[in-house]
Amino acid sequence: MTVPGPQLLVASGITKRFGGVLALDSVSLDVAAGESVGIVGPNGAGKTTLFNCLLGLEVPDAGSVTFGGRRIDRMPVWRRSRLGIGRTFQRMELFEGMTVADHLLVAEQATSGTVRIWRDFLHRGGPTPGELHHVEEVLDLLGLADLAARPVDTLDLGHARLVELGRAMMGAPRLLMLDEPSSGLDTEDTGRLVGILNETRRSTGVAVILVEHDLSLVGAAVDRLYVLNFGKVLAAGPVDEVMGDPEVRRAYLGSTG
Amino acid sequence: MIQFLNYAVPGVPFGCVFALMAVGLVLTYKASGVFNLAFGAQAFVSALAYVSLIQDGWPRWAAGVIAVLVIGPVVGVLLDRLLFRRIRTASPLVKLVPSLGLLVALPQAALMIAGAAPTIPPPAIVGNAQAVYVHLGSIPLSGLELSISASTVIVVLGLVVLFRFTPVGLEMRAVVESPRMTELAGVNSGRVSAFAWILSSVMAALAGVLLAPLYSQLDPQNFTVLLVWGVAGAVIGRFASLPLAFVGGLGLGVAQEVIAGYLPAGVIANGLRPSLPFVVLLVFLPFVRQRQIEDPLAGCDPPPTALEGTATGYRAASTLTATAGRVSAVGVWHGRLARTGPDRAPGLLARRPTATLAWAVAIIAGVSAVTWIPPDWLLTMTQGIAFAVIFLSLTLLTGMTGQISLCQASFAGLGGFMAGQLANNFGLPVGLGMVAGGLLAALLGVVVAVPTLHLAGLPLALATLAFALLSVVVLAISAGVVKLVADGTMGRYLAAIRGSELASSAVGIDVYRLRILVFALSAALAGVGGALYGTLEGSLSPDDFNYQISAVLLVVVAIVGLGSIAGAVVSGVVYATLQQAVTTLPGRFAGLVAVLFGLATLSYTRHPEGFLDYLGARTQQVVARRRSRTPAGGRGGSPPVDAAVVGSGG
Repeated sequence: MTVPGPQLLVASGITKRFGGVLALDSVSLDVAAGESVGIVGPNGAGKTTLFNCLLGLEVPDAGSVTFGGRRIDRMPVWRRSRLGIGRTFQRMELFEGMTVADHLLVAEQATSGTVRIWRDFLHRGGPTPGELHHVEEVLDLLGLADLAARPVDTLDLGHARLVELGRAMMGAPRLLMLDEPSSGLDTEDTGRLVGILNETRRSTGVAVILVEHDLSLVGAAVDRLYVLNFGKVLAAGPVDEVMGDPEVRRAYLGSTG
Repeated sequence: MIQFLNYAVPGVPFGCVFALMAVGLVLTYKASGVFNLAFGAQAFVSALAYVSLIQDGWPRWAAGVIAVLVIGPVVGVLLDRLLFRRIRTASPLVKLVPSLGLLVALPQAALMIAGAAPTIPPPAIVGNAQAVYVHLGSIPLSGLELSISASTVIVVLGLVVLFRFTPVGLEMRAVVESPRMTELAGVNSGRVSAFAWILSSVMAALAGVLLAPLYSQLDPQNFTVLLVWGVAGAVIGRFASLPLAFVGGLGLGVAQEVIAGYLPAGVIANGLRPSLPFVVLLVFLPFVRQRQIEDPLAGCDPPPTALEGTATGYRAASTLTATAGRVSAVGVWHGRLARTGPDRAPGLLARRPTATLAWAVAIIAGVSAVTWIPPDWLLTMTQGIAFAVIFLSLTLLTGMTGQISLCQASFAGLGGFMAGQLANNFGLPVGLGMVAGGLLAALLGVVVAVPTLHLAGLPLALATLAFALLSVVVLAISAGVVKLVADGTMGRYLAAIRGSELASSAVGIDVYRLRILVFALSAALAGVGGALYGTLEGSLSPDDFNYQISAVLLVVVAIVGLGSIAGAVVSGVVYATLQQAVTTLPGRFAGLVAVLFGLATLSYTRHPEGFLDYLGARTQQVVARRRSRTPAGGRGGSPPVDAAVVGSGG
């Protein structure tokens, strides 16, 4: 789909233990600039834990993470985000009570890191025209322009997922980490999601890591696939190749496959 | 070693009482998901009943049995039935405010019923409290100490037997894991939960009755302190382990005596002892993980929708504030704010129809103060404005970020105290080395207070008038600051953090820095308010703003409305006016304001938006209904807005 550029994110030897459970066992993963990488695996395979370790929401017991050539595994979450990583959550984390547009605006302002909040006291705290313009652009891309002023609490699941995606896309990220974006969506919504995702990749060249159960979405949106099982990388490579691997079929699709 | 024991052994009875509180708190928390701050009040009510019954001539064993085994459980079951059972799945603030309200209301209500607190120290349930029965080596053990320790041992043995060997104990352990799963196994989890309430209430009552002989006069304040010790013990038990909570409570009791023993008597030792539980809270709270209650049946639930907030427990944290000459320690409760209803307008401080009304009230109050109100009411009104500034600090902190602070009164006290000190000995600042927020509060308090110092020399009437005007100016500036924050980038960030801390950091917000910033700002506002109040009163002691007052302040503004500046202003005027009005009533009604607002928190569970917003919504409803009844375009083609005006007029 896209010609792989230089390495953007390189994680190596990520290990995470919860009590006696080895959630991640020396997992290594790399994403090239502009590339789209999928992670699949049965429930409890460690996919979300891996996401959390990459973004810093959990501290891995061992391993390193570099982003754009910089070590980031000691950085706080908000600093990694400002380097250009956007993420969505499997269990949605929206800002309750806030409007759709405000969601994007907060992300745009926070990710840029250039906002000085003391300017509030001089009544100069408002968003810049540039920020507002970018918010409108993303709203249009997502088809959410009509809902811009709605509080997110009043949206249906499909639109709410789009708001989360839009929030992750603000501030021109270089990497989008999407944690089961199709969870709870019907086929129509999922199709729209794939369209938006591919359109975004084409126009901005953003790289994507996609954790997903829906194999049709994975097939349509991913260049390369990792299969996790019991915290270990079972297989990695182009989608067709990986899905044809007998060991993967056994672990992921059940022994009958 | 002997020296150590000499100090440690007298701490054991205290430790026993703390341990009872800690175990009871953990028990209710696990069984009903509510952190019951009213626990201290329950202990007080039983202690008061015990003392009153003895004064009425009852034998002390009978008084003890009634207070512990009848009144304790009855109060507990009532609380469970009427309130806590309904808010099991509510947000942290909705859970906390009512129990805070009960903590201030119950003791005052009980005192009103009982007349006044009896002044003679009551005897222990068994034995002679003062007489020495046994010597442990060279350490004398009094009847009181023996009876406390023995009762605790009996209770603990009873608990162990209950949990290990009885069916209901097994059921209780199961309900704690998953009420729904237990229901599926054929157990009535409501009944089991009620049993846990009875059990923990008995422990609160027992703690109260055992402790009562230690005080010459029963004071609700002492039982709030007892609650804080219990909370510290529960925190050591990580809100989860009954044995650890017990050990924690016991250890705290011993530790406070040992510390007091080894340190040279005087300011430090006296100050350090009451602050020990807060130190423990500070040290241990980071280790209490926010327990994501994982229900084994969660997989059967449909996927969460956008609306469904994560029902997480609240984190508690505590802040220490040193006030010159004495350490007054205060706890801060952080929690995530209530989901405030589906139709909550976007933005932090949305414009509401009631805001206009509230401002009208405030302006009329201000203007009338200047013209026709008698001097003592002028004072009350000005006090109201001072309080409004303090309430604003809560609007900023709790209303916007959902953090719950129980130390606003301390910041206010700090500001007021500093102002007073500077007024008396100009140029001699005291209170160095205070925590950052307190320092900021004090500094800003001084900034406001210094220009007012010279007012003292003016004729009194003129001075109070000038001060009333100054208060209005200070309030206007404070309200402006809060409004700027609410409308600006910071307000949006705060709303985001309130919505989801996780996602906020994921989009690049430095959550901790912002939290500290808003806390310091809030402290500063409280300090300004306190300085206003202190200058008004002339002098202020640390006790004028103790943490009991913090609870009352939070309860008042939560009921009136945390979501708007108008809410803070109305809170201030109403609070000061009611307090003034109460002084005209007989002495036994001194706690009436606390009782009124405390009991009003029961409505808070249904209307977390506050009275002011509720009133606004109702008004809109009534207007809308009238409008629909009025024929469209009531007065020949006039637009619907006019129709509404006509409708409401007629």
